[in-house]
Amino acid sequence: MTTPCPYSSRHNGGATGAPAIELKQLTKVFPGSSTPVLNAIDLTVPAGTIFGILGPNGAGKTTIMSTLCGLLKPTSGSVHICGSNAQTERATIKQVLGMVPQEPAIYPTLTARENLEYFGRMQGLSGEHLQQRILACLDVAEMVGEADKRVERLSGGYKRRLNMVIGLIHEPKILILDEPTVAIDPHSRSLIHHRLRELHAAGISILISTHQMDEAEQLCQEIAILDHGRVLVQGNVSDLLSMQASETIQLQIEGDPPADLAARLEHIPGLLEAHVAGQCLTVVTVRPDRVMIPLMQAMQDYGLAVRSLSFGTTSLEDVFLSHTDGKRASR
Amino acid sequence: MMDNLTKFWASIAKEARIIGRDHQALFLFFVMPVLFVLILSLALRDAFGDRPGATFDVLMVSQDPGEVTQSIVEAFRSNAHILLTQSNTASEAEARQWLIDGRYRFVVLVPADATAQAERRLGEIMAKVPPELRMEKPVELVVMADPALRSDFRKVLEGSLNLALHGVEMKLGREQLQQTMRATQGENYVPLPDMEKSRLFEPVRGETVTRKGSGPTPTSVQQNAPAWTLLAMFFLTVPLSVSFIREREQGSLFRLQTMTVPAWVVLGGKAVPYFVINLIQMASILAVSVYVLPLLGGDRLELGNAPLALLLIGGSASLAAIGFGIAVAMYARTTEQATSFSSATVMIMAALGGILVPKAVMPPLMQEVAILSPLSWGLDGFLDVFVRGGGVQQVLPEALSLLAFSAICHGIAIMRYRSQT
Repeated sequence: MTTPCPYSSRHNGGATGAPAIELKQLTKVFPGSSTPVLNAIDLTVPAGTIFGILGPNGAGKTTIMSTLCGLLKPTSGSVHICGSNAQTERATIKQVLGMVPQEPAIYPTLTARENLEYFGRMQGLSGEHLQQRILACLDVAEMVGEADKRVERLSGGYKRRLNMVIGLIHEPKILILDEPTVAIDPHSRSLIHHRLRELHAAGISILISTHQMDEAEQLCQEIAILDHGRVLVQGNVSDLLSMQASETIQLQIEGDPPADLAARLEHIPGLLEAHVAGQCLTVVTVRPDRVMIPLMQAMQDYGLAVRSLSFGTTSLEDVFLSHTDGKRASR
Repeated sequence: MMDNLTKFWASIAKEARIIGRDHQALFLFFVMPVLFVLILSLALRDAFGDRPGATFDVLMVSQDPGEVTQSIVEAFRSNAHILLTQSNTASEAEARQWLIDGRYRFVVLVPADATAQAERRLGEIMAKVPPELRMEKPVELVVMADPALRSDFRKVLEGSLNLALHGVEMKLGREQLQQTMRATQGENYVPLPDMEKSRLFEPVRGETVTRKGSGPTPTSVQQNAPAWTLLAMFFLTVPLSVSFIREREQGSLFRLQTMTVPAWVVLGGKAVPYFVINLIQMASILAVSVYVLPLLGGDRLELGNAPLALLLIGGSASLAAIGFGIAVAMYARTTEQATSFSSATVMIMAALGGILVPKAVMPPLMQEVAILSPLSWGLDGFLDVFVRGGGVQQVLPEALSLLAFSAICHGIAIMRYRSQT
């Protein structure tokens, strides 16, 4: 991990005043369908951030990415990238963006170097500059020794690393990654995370779509949670975590709690939701100070011993679940 | 523009590398078509041109030493389709059995005194004996044919036989006339002119006439070399379309679509290596037909005198095939769809276009329908050069038709590609 980031200082700061990506009322309805895949999405990715898009399958993440790359035309609304309109200034946009698809989009019978060279040329690079970029990208992927092996003979981890650095060959200002570490070995995953942080430090704006909450929590400064084509929540990761944490109380109960425990607690004023998983009781409330004492009283009344109690800490997964699965229980 | 040209060359180089590393595909591209041409040209050697083609075993049983037997033997021997066996001992029953056994397809039994009987009857006719008082009847030959023998071939054999007998009548009649003249004119007798030198009609020999004018019938190799070149070219649509769909499935096409790469660079970069493969296929098939086939006992392919015309028709056919392949790739969703659709369509176009079955043996309606197939245009173009001695001007209509087909296919493909991005 001693390799220097291949980015020059030209990206440092990243911000040119305009956000990296700005979606306004973006709606996409596929022909023959009445249900919008994207429904009036408003989303702003500030320049120089690592931004995560989270959402269950079918939430609309891939549609957003395809629209950003100019592969899909929005039904209505607008997409601006670094201040340029994605529909009318497509050539400019394509130079600014680096796309890393979920599955390795590479030629298996070509070597890693040949893949980089080909896609580099397709990005308009040539001569000495192209050779320098190829070496830099091989360096970033830590696969200089594998450069002249055919891709079909490389491991899945190497393929994913190569897939990522091909997206960097033309030094884009914005890197878009679709599930970059799915089904990957821990070493490659760690390397990709490390490189993404380096890229971020060099001023690159990064938009990452992921299912892996720990990944989003570790990498992203901001996230948006999508479901059914709508943005359910968007904001700074620490803010979302602290907001969620202050609303959740978790109790570890000794022995098996009764099956109807959650229902029995519904009468507590201020309690929004309660659910039991094994010996863990999770309670959601907007007024933990008012709920805490009646809750402990109820435990005592039902003869349940509390082994541990946590309040004020939570994970992004809890945030995600509370805005997707958990939503149906809110009142 | 320069930037796009650089991308174009890079695309060609990438595709050439991918193809060059697929050894199985290279075998199929270059070795299989050459083998096909060799095998089919040798196997079908006798079904084309002036070669004897189908031959029939014919038995003639005769103890007649005279003119009748000699004339029939002479007529049958001059026909390359007849393999004549003579017997002067076999009985009618034996001959019949041999026919049933399939040893012979056609049997002629000549009565032992056929010539003498004919001469006696001629004498009566010349002596003006009234028909009802004549002692001799016309000579009757027994003719038996294998029921499996095609009726048109049987008619050819019967025609040859009747012609020979008619010749005997003429010859015997002439001899009789000369004898009579010698007897009546005495010192003043002047022999009749030599029949061979005094023919009223030139012997007929059919000339093959095509819609472009006259020329020789294509030999087996003249038909097969261009036919299999064209089929190989059009079968390249299968790997071409599959290669496109694989790129789509692998995501590399998606990645290219996120870059500033014009459609013509992506499609052209794929097309050019396949165009070169097509030209190499054509050159190798023609070279084998010229230099290798004669060593194996086949006919040598006569290339004509217009290499530019060959290049024009070959290049146009290749562009038509590539256009078709790319258009298929743009619409097929899976490699299975592309493979089955392109191979089935190419086979239908080949069958229609006179590639699998020469147009000359098709019924008139099918010959009209053949015009619909681009492979037929290509084949006609090649035959213009090989068989009809044509040049660039003669192949231009076919070449332009193929180029128009190619332009339409490429246009459809580019529109589809753009609509997908």
